[in-house]
Amino acid sequence: MSESSKSKLSLKLNPSPTLQCKNLHEYLKSRTPQFLETLYNYPTICLAVYRELPELARHFVIRLLFVEQPVPQAVVASWVSQTHAKEQSKACEALSELSVWQEAPIPGGLPGWMLAQSFKKNLKVALLGGGRPWSMSSSLEPDGKARDIAFLDAYALERWECVLHYMVGSAQTEGISADAVRILLHAGLMTRDAEDGSAVITKAGFQFLLLSTAKQVWLFLQHYLHTAEKRSLSAAECLAFLYQLSFSTLGKDYSTEGMSNNMLVFLQHLREFGLVYQRKRKAGRFYPTRLALNITCVSDAAGPGPLLSAGQARGHLVLETNYRVYAYTHSSLQVALLGLFTELLYRFPNLVVGVLTRESVRQALRGGITADQIIHYLEQHSHPQMLKSESGGIRATSVLPPTVVDQIRLWEAERNRFTYTEGVVYNQFLSQADFTALRDYARAAGVLTWQSERTRTALVTRAGHDDVKRFWKRYNKT
Amino acid sequence: MTDKLADDDGPSDSSLLVIIVDTNPNQRYITEDPKVLTGCLDAVIAFANSHLMQKSRNLLAVIGCHFHKSEYLYPSPGKPLDVRQIDGQYELFTLVEKTIKMRLVNLIKSQPLEEKPGESLLAGALAMALCFIARMRREATPGLRMSSRILIVTGSTDTAAQYINYMNVFFTAQKQQVLIDVCSLDKHLSLLQQGCDITGGLYLKVPSLEGLLQYLLWVFLPEASERKELVLPGRGRVDYRAACFCHRELLTIGYVCSVCLSVFCKFSPICTTCHTVFKIGGPLPIKPKKKKMKV
Amino acid sequence: MVNVMKGVLVECDPAMKQFLLHLDETLALGRKFILQDLDETHLFISSDIVETLQARVDDLMDQLSIPVHDKGL
Repeated sequence: MSESSKSKLSLKLNPSPTLQCKNLHEYLKSRTPQFLETLYNYPTICLAVYRELPELARHFVIRLLFVEQPVPQAVVASWVSQTHAKEQSKACEALSELSVWQEAPIPGGLPGWMLAQSFKKNLKVALLGGGRPWSMSSSLEPDGKARDIAFLDAYALERWECVLHYMVGSAQTEGISADAVRILLHAGLMTRDAEDGSAVITKAGFQFLLLSTAKQVWLFLQHYLHTAEKRSLSAAECLAFLYQLSFSTLGKDYSTEGMSNNMLVFLQHLREFGLVYQRKRKAGRFYPTRLALNITCVSDAAGPGPLLSAGQARGHLVLETNYRVYAYTHSSLQVALLGLFTELLYRFPNLVVGVLTRESVRQALRGGITADQIIHYLEQHSHPQMLKSESGGIRATSVLPPTVVDQIRLWEAERNRFTYTEGVVYNQFLSQADFTALRDYARAAGVLTWQSERTRTALVTRAGHDDVKRFWKRYNKT
Repeated sequence: MTDKLADDDGPSDSSLLVIIVDTNPNQRYITEDPKVLTGCLDAVIAFANSHLMQKSRNLLAVIGCHFHKSEYLYPSPGKPLDVRQIDGQYELFTLVEKTIKMRLVNLIKSQPLEEKPGESLLAGALAMALCFIARMRREATPGLRMSSRILIVTGSTDTAAQYINYMNVFFTAQKQQVLIDVCSLDKHLSLLQQGCDITGGLYLKVPSLEGLLQYLLWVFLPEASERKELVLPGRGRVDYRAACFCHRELLTIGYVCSVCLSVFCKFSPICTTCHTVFKIGGPLPIKPKKKKMKV
Repeated sequence: MVNVMKGVLVECDPAMKQFLLHLDETLALGRKFILQDLDETHLFISSDIVETLQARVDDLMDQLSIPVHDKGL
């Protein structure tokens, strides 16, 4: 057996990994069952998890909520009409993944389902009452300097944009703490420059900027929770507090009384990112902002319509069929973002005009931004006028002109005319039997990528090569 | 407006539920044991909160329907109550519960004492619900897909006195793509069942009041797009008898005005609705028009 | 004797495959890089050439594209 090892390469064949934004479901799925068990001791988390479940799964839970003994799996299956068996199995899978329910045998020997005790108990508490109040709800004297919603919105936006501005390296670099920088670095959104050690934005960072605000916040906090454990903050406690915030009322003040020291530290961080507003560090009360309330909405952010309704962060982009983009904005951040994938033509005090060209889009694609991200960004920030104009009874899937959307996708597709798979070719077999044996072995192991019986050539993946090689040696001996 | 209506197929971003609770004191289950009302109300509130729990953008309204007027129990007009958590319940849910109970007390206190309780004004409450839905649709952010439905929880008996009002409301709802669900606590209600059938909602007469919450959660919690996936009680046979305009009685066979389609149980030479005069030609009795109504 | 070669499998449409064959024959990338011609839509190439190749294909696409809009005034 001659092996021509041509080159020892560790080449990355797909050099642009897209930024992963897990929703709560995926985040929890990646945690251990023990961690989930602790989480389900908080009614808020149960409520949030419940909302994240697939539609059918939600109904399963609510139907089982008041049942004390296990329910046969066959009975649960019979709740769903035959034609939707696929949705049903998906719902069951989701419930099992998140340990919302467990298998439990029924006296007759049939397999059954039973909701996890703590989840059931605490969801009931959230829905019907009972149990202990959430930590931040101690009564307060009316605030002499109460803040209205408009103020909170403006505050949240300003704080959050501060983080984003820092990322793109726009003028204002102060007002961001070392902690925030550490999280950005940890998340891989920024990286230390090799020469002077200053933080510079990465490819993932650019993709991050194109996400909706709610998604940005969630992604950011996810990484915060990762680093939190290192700073002796309990991730479960932080998560519970976050969801507590997300279920609070906008424009209302809450008390910091009875909060542990760790949570007070956490609160200060949230204050820095604009999730809560506090007049003074020791004010004893805080106001959640819209950023905090939106954490729960991440999963259904797919639809159009900006989440931050009511005046704040209204869409500002108008995209026309002639590929022109009009952005009614004066924020340099928004302009910089638009500049990532458009060629800017004119700039006015409150309006920027750009055009989507093949070059500009390809530039973005080369930077690791995907066509979907560009389209999604344009959709997310569509001017209300764009949302309105698509009336006439027909509901298009997107508010953007289809020609432009298709063209952006085509521009992406033309870069992907090849698919590359690293692998190892086996050829020049002496007999058909030898070839078949090796091919069948590789196929059974799931490492076969291509084969031709006529030329007696088989291609196995790089990962499977060692295994196949061993097999071949064994095979030759016998 | 059409673009804002939820399409039937896809799941909606937000779902608006208006619950109409019949609080008329002359319902049989209340006259027998007034305490049952509290139990039923608790069930309705828990159901309302379960609806809000489904999605963060779900909306809710509850209308109390009495014999002298109908009123919003939730949301309360003006500034919402200032509620602080007293236990582990989600703040919004506490607010819903408190508001409904407080406003219901006000509604019951406002009933005229000298009057004998009459029929519940369900048709009026339905019209209020439709108005509320129309307003929410108008105010919704552009592009938001919102599905709306109305649930009536009542123990009143079926009378044809509000027949015309009912039909107007049902067809408006149908046109607005609003589902009407009916949960009957006592008798079978053929008129409201027609409404369910017209608008594509569900009708259920609960066998016992004990498990009311379970019935509500099982049958009425899924929204329109989810109902296709679940096995739910079928339509059954719907009694499509119309009520005559003269005596408000349900008819199988009657007289119909050829101009305005009003239904009468007895022949009259002048239509009372549109004042058309029917010529009586030929030997009597020749009926102006005879239409057999579907049984 | 069985021959074993490491490399990269390229899957593409037949037209692009012909383009690759052309590049290989004319030594446009400085050397031969196709290890084996597998079938209509598959080629086996040496892995160190991938990046150069990708750049070359981008150039080709640039030549082929026609501006779809005018920049206007």
